[in-house]
Amino acid sequence: MSRATAPTTFADGGGGATLSPDHYAEVPYEEKLRLWDEVKADPRFPDYMYGCYECGICVAACPSARFYDFSPRKIAQAAGREDVELIFEQMNDDVWNCSQCFSCNRCPRQNSPGGLITILREVAVKNGLASSKAALEGYTRIVYKIMTTGTQVSPDMLQADAFPDWGPGVTEVSDKLDLWRRALPPETLHTTSMSWVVEQKTLNELYLIWHLTGVMDMIAEVDEGLHMIILDVMEESLEEAGYQI
Amino acid sequence: MSIIPIESIRVKPRPDPANAPTVDMRERLFELEAAGELIVQRVPEPYIEVTTKYGRIKKIPEQMTWHHKSCGQCGHIPGYSTAIFWLNRKLGMDYNDPTDQTSCTAWNYYASATSNAAAQAGVAMRNFAAAHEVGYFPIIHCGTSYGHYKEVREEIVSHPDLRAQVRDIMGKLGKQLVMPEEIVHYSEWVHAMRDRFAALQVYDFSNITASVHPACHYYKLVQEDAIYDPDIYGGERTATVTALVQALGAKVGDYSTFFDCCGFGFRHILVERDFTRSFATQRKIEVMKAEANPDVTLTHDTGCVTTLDKSQFAAKAHNRNVGIPVMSDAQFAALAMGAHPYKVCQLHWHTTDYTALLEKMGIDWEQAWIEFENEVARIERGEIEFLSWEDAGV
Amino acid sequence: MSERIVVIGGGPAGLEAAAMAGRLGSDVLIVEKNAVVGGMPIIENYAALTHGFQSAEEMVGRLTASATDLENVEVRVDSEVTAVTGSGGDFRVTIKSKGGDDTVPAGAIVLATGFQHFDPGRETQQYGYYEFPDVIVLQDAEVMLKEKRFVTPSTGLPPERVAFIQCVGSRDRQIGNEYCSKVCCGISSKQAIEIRQQVPDARVFIFYIDMRMYGYWENEIYWPAQEQHKVNYVKGIVTEILSKNGRLLIRGEDTTMGRPMEVAMDVVVLANGMEPSQGTRQMADLLGLPSNKYGFVETVHDVLDTVTTSVPGVFVCGAVTGPVDLDDTISTAGAAGAKAVAYLRAGARISV
Repeated sequence: MSRATAPTTFADGGGGATLSPDHYAEVPYEEKLRLWDEVKADPRFPDYMYGCYECGICVAACPSARFYDFSPRKIAQAAGREDVELIFEQMNDDVWNCSQCFSCNRCPRQNSPGGLITILREVAVKNGLASSKAALEGYTRIVYKIMTTGTQVSPDMLQADAFPDWGPGVTEVSDKLDLWRRALPPETLHTTSMSWVVEQKTLNELYLIWHLTGVMDMIAEVDEGLHMIILDVMEESLEEAGYQI
Repeated sequence: MSIIPIESIRVKPRPDPANAPTVDMRERLFELEAAGELIVQRVPEPYIEVTTKYGRIKKIPEQMTWHHKSCGQCGHIPGYSTAIFWLNRKLGMDYNDPTDQTSCTAWNYYASATSNAAAQAGVAMRNFAAAHEVGYFPIIHCGTSYGHYKEVREEIVSHPDLRAQVRDIMGKLGKQLVMPEEIVHYSEWVHAMRDRFAALQVYDFSNITASVHPACHYYKLVQEDAIYDPDIYGGERTATVTALVQALGAKVGDYSTFFDCCGFGFRHILVERDFTRSFATQRKIEVMKAEANPDVTLTHDTGCVTTLDKSQFAAKAHNRNVGIPVMSDAQFAALAMGAHPYKVCQLHWHTTDYTALLEKMGIDWEQAWIEFENEVARIERGEIEFLSWEDAGV
Repeated sequence: MSERIVVIGGGPAGLEAAAMAGRLGSDVLIVEKNAVVGGMPIIENYAALTHGFQSAEEMVGRLTASATDLENVEVRVDSEVTAVTGSGGDFRVTIKSKGGDDTVPAGAIVLATGFQHFDPGRETQQYGYYEFPDVIVLQDAEVMLKEKRFVTPSTGLPPERVAFIQCVGSRDRQIGNEYCSKVCCGISSKQAIEIRQQVPDARVFIFYIDMRMYGYWENEIYWPAQEQHKVNYVKGIVTEILSKNGRLLIRGEDTTMGRPMEVAMDVVVLANGMEPSQGTRQMADLLGLPSNKYGFVETVHDVLDTVTTSVPGVFVCGAVTGPVDLDDTISTAGAAGAKAVAYLRAGARISV
């Protein structure tokens, strides 16, 4: 099959036509098409993508467009045209710039470029694309935290080396963490290792949800080590509670 | 300085809910309930009626609320949630602060995409079922959780396959599929109760100017569910937070990047903080400072408070025109009503200097800090294990 | 069987339909809600017509005379139709006037109740029409242009920079008006030329998604606006209007350049689109006429018959069926008047 190497080449695998240079020529068109089909198969896709007349409202409202070479309009255009090559490129290079603030939801065509990006990222993770692995580098601790404690950040993560740009207050908080947490009237906040006290029964239910919805498989795809650590925590807790995975 | 005109320039016709361009999700929920598909948890009485963007009425429960806490808030700015509970106690409201609650996990989902629609819906519906089981009505502290749950509600309603999948998962957990009649953000409760707060106000805020940062996920996700009032900004921006500022007698300082996000970015705040810092300071704080020079900026989401507050330190180091204390509407209201700035509002967790603000409010922060340190010393000496609500005056 | 034709609505469409039917010999009664006939161009003080730039007041005056000069055309102003009973050839139309209710017989009815301007308060972008005095809509601009005094409303001074924002309330799924309002591109370009003529020092920008300058509007308006009057057309629409340093700040994307833009403006004109008027909605209900999802009335065939409805004896014209310019309004109005007469001549028996 032909592959796009010049701006006006049509690499048509029966789907769309591309009008952009192919920066990922080593990836077969069929693979790119498969990923695009996976994006389209998401039940939310029809609610997120109608068509695009390039009004630019999404770009004007977009914070990331001001700081990166990033355009939600181009994401919507590529999806609207089903430009498989360009979509693959965006899935690798662009989607992680999005702030997910959903300011772009103002689209008069009722597209949600931000929602579309959520799906594109999800497919990138699920298929272990290099971009998703790179994006998650330095992020594994957060994924571990949320999946095992049911809360995303904990007080003990406030460490000066993690937040050097937040000033000396971070050091003061971390020095006095235990005392200051106890100086909080709400009983549920008397913890330093999670955002608030979450019952073990509740966590077991959360672990079951991760298992039953394929999230554990996604983690395995992007970070095998992380997957094993999380699995360890979960299995022990679930077994104690009498669940079998 | 520009002050927002409370009265509108032109008289906007009250929106007619009959002409709303979107489906009323509550009607769909009741249809699904009638078909035996799910349970709709009713808003407990008494409730307050507020109007949303297209003129529909939304019920805000006064009490019997189940507080869906927020990770960033409870983890890093605990005065945010403490102030909400304090306000409830001050007004004598019955509420539930559960431990059978997880985060919505949407922060991670929007940051890393290591989840999917079914998992996200499962987490949401597990929390809703937990609230229903104890007979309290969910009230959501986090802007992202609130916005995300509204999206989940739409997905559950519109996609029968997803609904069946999640119902099946709930069955495996021994739970029912329950959806609250309204998805309520805590700042909507603050909005609904603002006149009652004002009646209990002990400090005069008439010399205080506050700028408002509305949280993106509060009013940009499923926008028709956010509160709008024709008398505030001519009904063209969400009234939440701003109406509270006015009710407490403070001035609202307007600025030209009102609709911009704070720069949180979900993943950016954690792993690409240069973006977050630049956006928060250059597009928000410096613009507020130059155009409105407020004494404080108020918002109603965890991520926004963190981003706007913490990002100022590095900018200040570069002599940028920053230096606006940041807090939630609940902390602001609690201060007005005499809440302790440290025992309740926990301002020592905040980065940007807030002492000038407290002085302007008439609050003796130095004395308050001594009082707080005394309590900490009691904990340190083992006289008490924790600070109690009695210690906090409610 | 009555030989009279009742025309509901005394705007351009109603006047032309009445004139046509009158000239063909039928007795006509025009029922007009407002105190004067002439419709939107008169009520909203339009300046020049988009096609040809003639004075709207003068043109509608000629149109009015062509109907009211006829002896068999009667006009009732300050009057509304409140009930219609009977059927084609033998309607009984109840008219509520200042003097009281009156029921008249009618053989046929022509509905010419037109449109209303979209209320920009319902726009999903953040345009602040109800917040900022210097954000105005097309009909606000018409009033100033007619007085030959186009100023920044908040200061009363001539503006240095004026922006038009297209497609406000049109082509928008979120609002529910997915259709194009057809006339706004032309009207904005016409107004831009008028502003450049009246305030030569002002720079005028038009922010658009697609310029819909069909037919002669291209060479008679669009090209002259660019070439002779130096109106700046920018492809990209505005998402927010805010106030900064006493001026309006508009924020959008220049899609040609692919970058966000922020520009200060003195006046912003929202090119608000067309929606069925309250009268059109009410009369469609009253007469049992089928409407589309937007509230515009449907005719028996969207191409082959643009004026006959599925209710025998009831004809429609102008903006009752959808957004339309004045030229086409006159065409459909003449057709509706003529078809109503033909219906009566055939003994109210012809079917379509």
